[in-house]
Amino acid sequence: MTIDMSQFYEVFFDEAEELLAEAERLLLSIDIDSPDTEDLNAIFRAAHSIKGGAATFGFMDMTEITHVLENLLDKIRKNEMALTAEHVDAFLAAKDVLKMEVDGHRLATAVDEEQVADVKMMLKQLSEAGAAVVKPAQATPAPVAAPVVAAPVVEDKPAASVSVASVPDDGLTRFNIVLPEVSEKDMTNLKEELGLLGDVESSQNENNRYVFKLTTDSTQADIISICSFVLDPDDLVITVSAPAAQAEAKPAVVEDPGFGLFEDEAKASTESASASEAKSNTSGVNIHEEVGYGLFAVDGKNDVEEGYGFFAPFQPHKDAAVAELIGDDTVATEANSGKAELAKAEAAAVASKAAASEATDRRNQGRRESDKAPASAESSSIRVGIEKVDQLINLVGELVITQAMIEQRISQLDPVQHEPLINSVGQLTRNTRDLQESVMSIRMMPMDFVFSRFPRMVRDLAAKLGKKVEFVTVGATTELDKGLIERIVDPLTHLVRNSVDHGIETPEGRRAAGKSETGTLTLSAAHKGGSIVIEVTDDGAGLSRDKLLAKAAKNGLPVSESMSDTEVFNLIFAPGFSTAEVVTDVSGRGVGMDVVKRNITAMNGVVEIRSALGYGTTISIALPLTLAILDGMSVSLGNSIYVIPLNLIVETLQPRAEDIKTVTGEGRMVHVRGEYLPIIALHSLFNHHTDITDPTQGVLVLLESDGKKSALFVDRLVGQQQVVIKSLETNYRKVPGVSGATIMGDGCVALILDVSAIIQMGQTTNYLTGAPPFSHYQNAQLIENQATTKELTK
Amino acid sequence: MSTENVSRTSNSATTSAKLKNAAGEYLTFVLGEEQYGLEILKVQEIRGYDAVTQISNTPEFIKGVVNLRGKIVPIVDLRIKFHLGKVEYDEFTVVIILNLNGRVVGIVVDGVSDVMALKEEQIRDVPSLVSNIDTKYIVGLASVEEQMFILVDIEQLMSSQEMALMDEIAVH
Repeated sequence: MTIDMSQFYEVFFDEAEELLAEAERLLLSIDIDSPDTEDLNAIFRAAHSIKGGAATFGFMDMTEITHVLENLLDKIRKNEMALTAEHVDAFLAAKDVLKMEVDGHRLATAVDEEQVADVKMMLKQLSEAGAAVVKPAQATPAPVAAPVVAAPVVEDKPAASVSVASVPDDGLTRFNIVLPEVSEKDMTNLKEELGLLGDVESSQNENNRYVFKLTTDSTQADIISICSFVLDPDDLVITVSAPAAQAEAKPAVVEDPGFGLFEDEAKASTESASASEAKSNTSGVNIHEEVGYGLFAVDGKNDVEEGYGFFAPFQPHKDAAVAELIGDDTVATEANSGKAELAKAEAAAVASKAAASEATDRRNQGRRESDKAPASAESSSIRVGIEKVDQLINLVGELVITQAMIEQRISQLDPVQHEPLINSVGQLTRNTRDLQESVMSIRMMPMDFVFSRFPRMVRDLAAKLGKKVEFVTVGATTELDKGLIERIVDPLTHLVRNSVDHGIETPEGRRAAGKSETGTLTLSAAHKGGSIVIEVTDDGAGLSRDKLLAKAAKNGLPVSESMSDTEVFNLIFAPGFSTAEVVTDVSGRGVGMDVVKRNITAMNGVVEIRSALGYGTTISIALPLTLAILDGMSVSLGNSIYVIPLNLIVETLQPRAEDIKTVTGEGRMVHVRGEYLPIIALHSLFNHHTDITDPTQGVLVLLESDGKKSALFVDRLVGQQQVVIKSLETNYRKVPGVSGATIMGDGCVALILDVSAIIQMGQTTNYLTGAPPFSHYQNAQLIENQATTKELTK
Repeated sequence: MSTENVSRTSNSATTSAKLKNAAGEYLTFVLGEEQYGLEILKVQEIRGYDAVTQISNTPEFIKGVVNLRGKIVPIVDLRIKFHLGKVEYDEFTVVIILNLNGRVVGIVVDGVSDVMALKEEQIRDVPSLVSNIDTKYIVGLASVEEQMFILVDIEQLMSSQEMALMDEIAVH
């Protein structure tokens, strides 16, 4: 019977990412001189949970790294080793590698094997270095055999054994291979074969059996397959022992889930006590006595091998012993031993019974469901598919509209005669509002999800640039829609990077300017009205108005000395601005800033810059609370209502006749404060009947999108309101000039205008011939949209 | 024109296979003088015609979109599309809401008559010219009590390019 594990993969990936993020956060906040034990334990637990999950799902690469990481962490948390900055760096590097591996498994992105190996090596070295100093006994390679591979070995006629005697730093493994009774010829053949894998030394032991010492980078599986040419692999006994301090994570470990899991720090003291006991014991064990125990048969030999704990789920009464041995794995790696060990373990088991059985529980559960490990978090939250939540939000939206309709009808009734009804509806109104609020809050996530990734980035970047930066976050608990959270990360990353790179000066520069050497970078989030304001503030050099103006003039942008500071600062959002020559303190701020602005505008957000030369810069982003809601201005055209996104409206005006100019070939223009803007008549663009065709009778809405301004001519302004965005494409198709639809308070559908498309359409309109440019535009749009639609309908 | 003929002949070849699966329950409706039937399982609901929001620059038969309990659903007037019946909108105007593979579309017809179960033997092949609707969208003809019903493959019809309900490439 096999269980399809793939359904749990996503859960594991999500969890691993969360754990890694958490570990990173703890690592960054850790005080190297006096680390908080709780923090260390938490980091250890994170590594451990990932290892358990990875082993369960067979992600060996992750198990290997976490195993090494875990061993090192374990020593530190038990005060066997002092925490150093080097360690923290190594842990952070390991975190990056793990993240890369998670992504590798999840998104099939490339994994830099070299980096993985480097990190593993670094961790191992750190681990050994510490062990050598603190616990020299552990570092001595004890010839301890342990079961390794679920090789088809017949347990009761053990004839050969392979054990790993040491794990040299170069990634090579030394195996001790004890052969069954074979002829000298076979032995010689085998030696030659094994020689292909690495260095082989042969000797004879006291039982006149041949013993090979093989130093190789191959796995036990390779050895088995080679030996099987000459011998029956059933007769070959393979055991592995590693120095206690070594964190050797081989595929063999992964094949045995038992290695991937062990109890948490709560039982640590018990375990380390019994573990050291076990260790002192192991050194004295003769390999040949334990040969039979060093192996286990996959097929139902478990009644004999209870001490090894690999069949724990089938032997609940041996839980204690099992867990005890698993505990050893943590400290003594694969140091399992023979009968004496078993006896010891069972004796110790009584003492640590409670803890051990708990550990076994955890282990068993961890094996079946990967999300079991952080049990405490599990009980307080549930994972629900986002589409379920969206459906709920949709339905509640409908409820609110229906409720508004009832309220409207009720208001026409005689209040005296229908008092009870009116009261009940009032109650319904309040309840619906509460319901809507709580449903909307489901999608909300704290800004911490975004902020938490920056301390690391700032730390690394500052170190690279030789700057001193203190990173402060404010309002990390402020909640924002999940969809927005995901989309704000990139722009924010860019802004933070810019601030560290170009905003904050070097320590020397800061000293010269009379500031403290350490710059401060503040990331804050707060609610303001119906939106959330996220600010990136640095106390660096600030933007230089003069330099910006000079630069803009050079780039051929229309600038004048009379421009306000805000307008001047906004120049950095101009595409391509400051990509070329360096404007010292401002350089780079223009690189990609247009992308930042575009991303934020796409989220219906607004970016604003405040800066004072010499004192710093604040970039402020105001976002709507959720993606699904848009602040809109509804306008009427004939008998229809259209909604225009409010953030794209510059102003609205009723033009005077003398402000309207007709330009040959360009259609009508309106003169607004020195600027001539093209007038786009919505009724002619949409072929929509209306009685108002003279702009002086209607309203001009000045729109700005992608740096282009136009005046949209509509009949009337209806009002400003928040609308829920619905897709037209779900059941219909993309309509040029329309970005979506919404349902108004009366239950009617209103279309939301796609401002940038309309400005584009307006430009291609030929007012002279009066022919709508539509067909041409529509075709272009259609071709453009075909690819997307194809995907959607699949 | 010749390609049209070719497609028709090839169509009738496959029609007999089509007929095999045609048995089932049909919702019958009236368009002008003719009686039509469509597979009942494609029907989500039947409702009156109200408050349609026009969409600019669309063919005349696409009346616009309505709010169907929070979903934005396009409404097609088949009477305009096939030049059948008088195009009037009053309290008797009927909209059949179809659910075609998850896409919800409303069609305006002159009236809905009945639901009937048709057996295979009641359904006959389509002669080359029978209605304003292209025969490739017709499953077969059924005659019940002296009346003839044109059975429409509504899914094919609504997703066809000429209905312009979907972006071109989306037509399968």
